[in-house]
Amino acid sequence: MSRRLPFRGVGPRALRQPAALAALVPSRRALLRGVLQGSAVFVGLPLLERMLNGNGTALACGGAIPKRFGLFYWGNGNIPSRWVPPTDGDSWELSEQLAPLVNIKAKLSVVSGLSVKVPNLLPHTSGAGGLLSGMAPLSENGNETFAGPTIDQIIAAEVGGDSLFPSLQTAATDASGQSFNGPNSKNPPETDPYALYERLFGASFREPGEEGIVDPTLALRRSVLDAVMGDITTLQGKLGAADKARLDQHLTGVRELETRLARLEEDPPSLEACSRPASAPLTSYPDNDGRPQVTARSRAMVDMLAMAFACDQTRVFGHYLSDPVSNILYPGASAGHHNLTHDEGGDQPEVNAITVQMVAELAYMLERFDAVAEADGTLLDNCCILGCSEVSLGQTHSLDDMPIVIGGGLCGTLRTGIHYRSYTGDNASSLMLSIMRGMDILATSFGSEDAYTESGLSDIEV
Amino acid sequence: MRCPLLLAALIVVAGCDPDPATEVPFARGAQPAYTAPAPVLRRLTYEQYVHTLDDLFGEGLIISASLEPDTRVSGLYAVGASVTSISALGVERYESAAFDVAAQVLADPARRAALGSCVPAAPRDDGCAAELLGTIGPAAWRRPLTEGELGTLVAVAGGAADARGDFDEGLAYALAALLQSPYFLFRPEFGEVSDDGVRRYTAPELATRLSYFLWDGPPDGELRAAAASGALLTDAGLNAAVERLLESPKARRGLRAFVADMLQLAELESLTKDPTVFVYMSAGLGASAQEQTLLDAETLVLDNDADLRTLLTSTSTHLDRSLAALYDVPAPAREGFGVAELPASGGRRGLLGQVSFLALHAHATSTSVTLRGKFIRQVLLCQQLPTPPAGLNTAIPEASESLPTMRERVAKHLEDPSCASCHQFMDPIGLGLENFDGVGRYRAEENNTEIDPSGELDGAAFADAWALGGTLAAHDAFGPCVNRTLYRFAAGREEADAEAPLVDWHADGLKESEYRLKFLMRDVALGPAFRTVGEVE
Repeated sequence: MSRRLPFRGVGPRALRQPAALAALVPSRRALLRGVLQGSAVFVGLPLLERMLNGNGTALACGGAIPKRFGLFYWGNGNIPSRWVPPTDGDSWELSEQLAPLVNIKAKLSVVSGLSVKVPNLLPHTSGAGGLLSGMAPLSENGNETFAGPTIDQIIAAEVGGDSLFPSLQTAATDASGQSFNGPNSKNPPETDPYALYERLFGASFREPGEEGIVDPTLALRRSVLDAVMGDITTLQGKLGAADKARLDQHLTGVRELETRLARLEEDPPSLEACSRPASAPLTSYPDNDGRPQVTARSRAMVDMLAMAFACDQTRVFGHYLSDPVSNILYPGASAGHHNLTHDEGGDQPEVNAITVQMVAELAYMLERFDAVAEADGTLLDNCCILGCSEVSLGQTHSLDDMPIVIGGGLCGTLRTGIHYRSYTGDNASSLMLSIMRGMDILATSFGSEDAYTESGLSDIEV
Repeated sequence: MRCPLLLAALIVVAGCDPDPATEVPFARGAQPAYTAPAPVLRRLTYEQYVHTLDDLFGEGLIISASLEPDTRVSGLYAVGASVTSISALGVERYESAAFDVAAQVLADPARRAALGSCVPAAPRDDGCAAELLGTIGPAAWRRPLTEGELGTLVAVAGGAADARGDFDEGLAYALAALLQSPYFLFRPEFGEVSDDGVRRYTAPELATRLSYFLWDGPPDGELRAAAASGALLTDAGLNAAVERLLESPKARRGLRAFVADMLQLAELESLTKDPTVFVYMSAGLGASAQEQTLLDAETLVLDNDADLRTLLTSTSTHLDRSLAALYDVPAPAREGFGVAELPASGGRRGLLGQVSFLALHAHATSTSVTLRGKFIRQVLLCQQLPTPPAGLNTAIPEASESLPTMRERVAKHLEDPSCASCHQFMDPIGLGLENFDGVGRYRAEENNTEIDPSGELDGAAFADAWALGGTLAAHDAFGPCVNRTLYRFAAGREEADAEAPLVDWHADGLKESEYRLKFLMRDVALGPAFRTVGEVE
């Protein structure tokens, strides 16, 4: 067991103030003295100016209002016979499992009938990797890993550079997430709502209208990271290709942190919808009799993700209720989720209830995002939230008729309010390509081999 | 002197160098020829990170519980550490942890004093900073620092001291740089070609390999001194170092790391059971179960230097109150753990009777004959099982009057050929453990029907879980499996095909030593795979 306590007392957390400082009593005067002594304090252009076009007028969606992508993920699939709406097109009704989406139905599309085309060799992993990266996952020495980057990271690589965090990963349970940069390079999620709050809205957070942080220790921390980057590049020179790539990932992370520290000195973006959350989440969400508080944890995180988008702290996230093969004991269930998908008999009422709960959390996210006014519409209008899982029927690990919900119209580039059904088992990669194009990414294909496609899913594109 | 019986590694590498401590009391075949594969770059595991800071700055630091997560590859965190990298979130967490640690060290007079005694003449005093960083730097990076590296750290400290007007504040930034460096977080080992043309790990690299293998932590001053003097590169020096490390209290950390990694005990931290189904479930049960297994292993391997196979058959164990209650025996201690003797009437002995195995390889509300059987096959016998096919209906029928116990319910797994092809290797073993429920409590019946715990393991029939422990201990594959796992743990990678003869040779050594794990740890530490290395690829 870890004998360490989660540590909240001193320290920078993500709060941009090193513990060394906290312990050694900094003062406003000391900070100013640091400035006056000529420490490299960089005061950047107010972000507002970055967000105006040449005429000084605010740019439309895709400019001042950025396009954003979010992944909403749960493990173990659905029950297709109770998921797929009976009719498709513009006039359709929600199914039993999709019923929680009733209040937001007009702002989403249900996409059914798509297939993940990679060979279904690794139960759950083939589906997750095939769907999110378009590539068959690798399995070597009992180690399963995605073979390439996932959709969130492909998008983050294109649109993440202008925000504080290129992407955020969050999980409402102790999940390990499904975001990969490449083989064996995973982006773990933050699983603690309070830690997420500290990273996003802690001492370093500035509301629109406030000034950037004047703190010479930011520059000092950057000087430390410079030294670290020097060590990484020197070490890389001695390594073989595989280890060099591993340190590339490390280097990327250090660079991102350094960039973030620099941005904290800039004035925050002038985004109308952005404000500091009224309250922090709880510091802990203990399990009840071995049953995690999935709903409470997820909603606390979703509230923060909405504001992280509204404040342009990030433009990409992955949010996980659970992992593939998750065996979480949900409230009221007689066994773990994965067990139930395989062992529960009949029409699987317990699995059904869990799936409905997953969809209810998706509904909460979509409604929460839709409650944030932005430009002429809402935050949700300017997002694409991809709700999905790694299989359809969990019992058989089926990769046909995958459960997919698209929330938000992505600035009018994706159709909403429809149920699109593929009757020919279209390649799920087509959907990813459509989303990338909606994000203004110049992509000609998604996926590889069996899952390769050059065609978007034109029926969901506007 | 029984020179031919000494470790053949030494004979091959440098002739015979007798040392009573390493004398092997049995005849041994010649060590096979060995060609070392390329080195691996290992990241410190979470536990190693903590141990390293403990040893550098003294125990008791508060360290964040969340750093880069460890990943199991080939069954081991030790192997995953050679494959995974550090994510963007990990970078943030290591930065945060580095400043947290630096602040704690500088705020504590005793820890601060241990860094060195120079008194800074001014807020910025590069000479004093160089003295302090020149001491802690090589300890943190497990090697001497180059002039340029020390210069960079001194410059970081100096720049920060200038800006903050305080020497120690400046030092905090240099310490944070040390602790975020890849030279701290990773273990770069490249070796260099010796005069005889063989590429060997350098002395600091070898010291680091030894200490993380046997202590799960960094080299201490004495080991680094042995590396600096070159003594460690001699057979006598290496022998002496290995003996010292194995006899040190820190060897408990190393053994615990291996046992926990092999038996996946870290998973017990998130043990999930429905306490309304299993009334003996409690929040601390996973931790207690882990400690029981680790204390038993410490006693067996380090205190008694006993036959490792008794891990599967011993009735003497360590229990605290929660485990004693679950096992239905008197608690041996009011506080913490004490030694208890398990009665034969309880049907429980050895690892297979422990919560750390029984509860971990079961479901939240039930047992799992498949998971328990799979663990025994894969982890204790190192037998590969095929991946379950996708697209099969895996439902098992509900319990009923005609299907009262798990044996009847999983019968389909064993009758349907498409299931039986794999499940025949797992379920019959797991059925032998059905007298223990999903949390490890003994039960004679399930649904008012007596449980039949008999079965067969690779041709050897067993009557129940008690007997299964003995059957497993006598299984030909158990010793070689522990050996292979230890080899991977020490190497930080799966063995290459060409290494198979050496792995087998170590397995023979384990067997000839009558299954002394301590012998094997020494054997591997002195063996050629630990000392020689291929070129970077």
